[in-house]
Amino acid sequence: MARRAVQTALIHLTLIVVVLLVGFPLLFALIKATQTGAAVNSANVIPSTHLWDNLVSAWNGAKLGLYIRNSFVVAVGITVLKVITSSLAAMVLVYFRIPAKSLLFTLILLTLMLPTDLLVVALFDLVNKLGWANTYQAVIVPFAASATGIFLLRQHFMNIPGSLLDAARIDGAGPFRFLLSVLVPLSWNTIGALTLIQFIYGWEQYLWPLIIIRDSSHQVIQVGLKSLIGQASGQTDWGMVMAGTLVAILPPVIMFTLLGRQFSKGFVLSESK
Amino acid sequence: MDNLAVFKNRWLALLMLLPTLVVLGVFLYYPALETLRLSLYRANFVFQTETFVGLSQFRQLLTDPSYYQSLLQTVIFCALVVALGLAFGLSLAILVNQPIRGAAVYRSLLLYPYALSPAIAGTLWLFMFNPEVGLVNNILRSLFGIAPRWLDNPILAFGLVTFAAVWKNLGYNLAFYIAALQNLPGELLEAAALDGATPWQRFRHVILPLLSPITFFLIFVNLTYAIFDTFSLVDILTAGGPTLGKTGITTFLIYRVYQDGFQNFQTGFAAAQAILMLAMVGAITALQFRAGRGINYGA
Amino acid sequence: MKSKALTAAISVVLGAGVMAQSVTVEFWHTFGDPKRGGWIQAKADAFNKANPNIKVVPTFKGSYPDILQAATLAARQGKPPALVQMYEIGSQFALDSGIFQPVGGIGTLDTSDYIKPVLNYYTINGKVNSIPFNSSSPVLYYNKDLMTKAGLDPNKPPMTYGELTAACAKVAAANLGVKCFGVSLNGWFFEQWMAQQGALLANNSNGRKGRATEVLLTSEPAKKIVSWLKDMNDKGYYTYTGKLEDWDGSDAIFTDAKVVFHITSTADIVNIGDAAKKTGFQMGVGMLPIADGVKRNGVVIGGASLWISKGIPKEQAEAARDFALFMTGTENMAEWHKLTGYYPVRVSAVEVLRKEGWLKEDAPQLVAFNQLLQTTPNEATAGALIGPFQQVRRIVEEAIQKVFSGTSVDAALTEAKTKADAALKEYNASVK
Repeated sequence: MARRAVQTALIHLTLIVVVLLVGFPLLFALIKATQTGAAVNSANVIPSTHLWDNLVSAWNGAKLGLYIRNSFVVAVGITVLKVITSSLAAMVLVYFRIPAKSLLFTLILLTLMLPTDLLVVALFDLVNKLGWANTYQAVIVPFAASATGIFLLRQHFMNIPGSLLDAARIDGAGPFRFLLSVLVPLSWNTIGALTLIQFIYGWEQYLWPLIIIRDSSHQVIQVGLKSLIGQASGQTDWGMVMAGTLVAILPPVIMFTLLGRQFSKGFVLSESK
Repeated sequence: MDNLAVFKNRWLALLMLLPTLVVLGVFLYYPALETLRLSLYRANFVFQTETFVGLSQFRQLLTDPSYYQSLLQTVIFCALVVALGLAFGLSLAILVNQPIRGAAVYRSLLLYPYALSPAIAGTLWLFMFNPEVGLVNNILRSLFGIAPRWLDNPILAFGLVTFAAVWKNLGYNLAFYIAALQNLPGELLEAAALDGATPWQRFRHVILPLLSPITFFLIFVNLTYAIFDTFSLVDILTAGGPTLGKTGITTFLIYRVYQDGFQNFQTGFAAAQAILMLAMVGAITALQFRAGRGINYGA
Repeated sequence: MKSKALTAAISVVLGAGVMAQSVTVEFWHTFGDPKRGGWIQAKADAFNKANPNIKVVPTFKGSYPDILQAATLAARQGKPPALVQMYEIGSQFALDSGIFQPVGGIGTLDTSDYIKPVLNYYTINGKVNSIPFNSSSPVLYYNKDLMTKAGLDPNKPPMTYGELTAACAKVAAANLGVKCFGVSLNGWFFEQWMAQQGALLANNSNGRKGRATEVLLTSEPAKKIVSWLKDMNDKGYYTYTGKLEDWDGSDAIFTDAKVVFHITSTADIVNIGDAAKKTGFQMGVGMLPIADGVKRNGVVIGGASLWISKGIPKEQAEAARDFALFMTGTENMAEWHKLTGYYPVRVSAVEVLRKEGWLKEDAPQLVAFNQLLQTTPNEATAGALIGPFQQVRRIVEEAIQKVFSGTSVDAALTEAKTKADAALKEYNASVK
């Protein structure tokens, strides 16, 4: 009994130390967001009183409110489209009898090795030609499909027992009925997990919006934040940047909190039956 | 597997696959091909000039000692980020997965760095590790009287960048390992315990192998992260420096691509580097999948 | 000449009368902080009020390279912003991009009021290319309290390398727990020190009489600069954060009173002054210390200017020019200077400041003023026109870092020259 108590105490202690170490930079950012001027880029960790001012600067002066709204549009758009297209594609790859299935799956998986960031120049030319420069669709549509999503959903579908499938077939259900009333209800965890990952992916977009979006009415938060960090001497209001950081981190953290449980349950990569 | 493929409507299948294929084809494959074409030209994106130079840019890269130095640095960096990321992720996941109170709280607190933008993460570390007035050295100076040159000692700078990169991705690894641990089949573990296996033996011979699919997946994800997504972090924290040998010690391959592509506007040259990187990643991925063929993903 | 001006004036008035619809002028700039960004917005608002048919829309666009990239992309989409703030070293690139038109070519431009060395920088091929906006040059900031503690006279800052080295010897001897001299490891300072010695940075008269094909990094003046920096570093007098171009990091070292002497832009006088007050030490400002045995040649103007895009309707170009002239007019420049520390580049603005008593004997800003006004306008101080300037700057910085870690000055600079010349060659080959 005592050994258990000691063990538990040790675990708590370790975790607290680790949390402090891992979480320190955020605490640092929090303190810095309350400071202003030169105190921010110094060792001073005494909280000051400028948090509200910095937040107001960041929200209004640096238009963070606008950027956050745009990032929401983009992140949600990307997430919804990815979930839909991945579900449809995964369903085909598992439940349809078509030729060259392996080839198609391989072609889809190969795109995991084509990171958008390396292709932005070519992508710019293309999107420009489509007339989509500076629009929401320019930052959403190129990411509307997801090899990761297809991979995970396919895995998940393959783990669903065949008995359920037979039952639905006896009912005479067509593919869409099957998808919506059988597969989806069984896949909430995976979908939830996918939603979380893709939302954060969409939220973190930086290089592509930087290139294709030219005015702030459509610009996203990561570009907005980074652009506050000036290159030359003294051009950066670091207190405002720190405050902006705290605001920008909230939506992903909220998503984590909301979807955390789905995430835990949504990744069954091996037969756990 | 085949007994699952019950629907036969090919046109419907095509329709359902179409969005994915179109998006991937138009927005990934096509630009990749275009990048391949660009790599054969000396091009300046801003000036809109293009001169065919064939494979000379590839030749230039493959005969440049500084390119090989960047390559070596990238390989070491990636290996460390993957190894440390997975090791820390798994250890913390095991700790957090213990039946203790407040596990959910610990978990949330450990996840957040993942949500920080790399540029901001870099900024925070830059402030904290300023050798003269940064918080870390202030503490070290008062406790031990030392003030390491974090940003211009090559080994320290490399280490700093590595740790910052691992730190930032910790939440991702942690989340996946926690999920995997919670989905482990309880019966197998109980059986092993009943057999008299020690916790360590249980870990090594039961848990670890059961985690291999997720580990495999995480290796791939962390590798991609280390190779492609760490640019902003490195840019802010060390700007690719400090200089050691032929180039900066934290000038990794992706940093060169950005420098040449977006600061020096040598578009064709950057495209050539991108193609080389894609080829390398392709080779690694192929090897990984071949090695992982034995791993049971189910069905 | 007079009739030409009259004709121009009449056509402008007539044109303005004909203009029924409003002209929008998009102005892209790099000031994201509320103080400077807010000032620009206020000026735009005032201008818009006074000119009801013009609408100036200032937008903070990020750093200078971001703006350059965005402007060229916008031009390729056929919708360039009318007015763009571009940093001085981007001048050759901006010229080569072909998306800007020389300001001097839009109607007539009266340049008599500008301080000569500043105008010199932005005049290319006889035409004034852009309108100077936020101009600066490096000065020496020093901590008077620490100087006194080290036994130095706080009213006699070092003026040469030798004097600074000697001062540092005293600081080291005083064992104050601080470093003596700091400056961000940035190629800008190297370029300034070259100009101070009257040395050219690039061939073909600093790239002004013909395209630059060589960066003169192995000249004697170049070696002098780097040797001195090496000496200061070897002796433990010099400090920086370790990261290249870390302006704010080096500023922080000074404002936290961890270094006695600090060199950075005069544009930070207000910010650094405020920070020094908060930390609680007396700050002084002196001229940039120069190499020994050379007559003080002067500084190259730093900062940025306002460029006008090509291919936009004439009314838009003229509106853009008018706003640029308004924002950089006498009263506004004096105000801008008081707010930030950037030079008021107009002679009349300097006069206004003097009359207001702003430039009293001991005003820190006066140092920067005198330094600029005493600059000899010649090829060296006109500044270099180099296409891949950012790249060259980085090469210089890496060379200095290598010297710090043990490479010989000659070897490092020779290697740097090879790299820089190669970059130039590559760049020149890619220009249309």
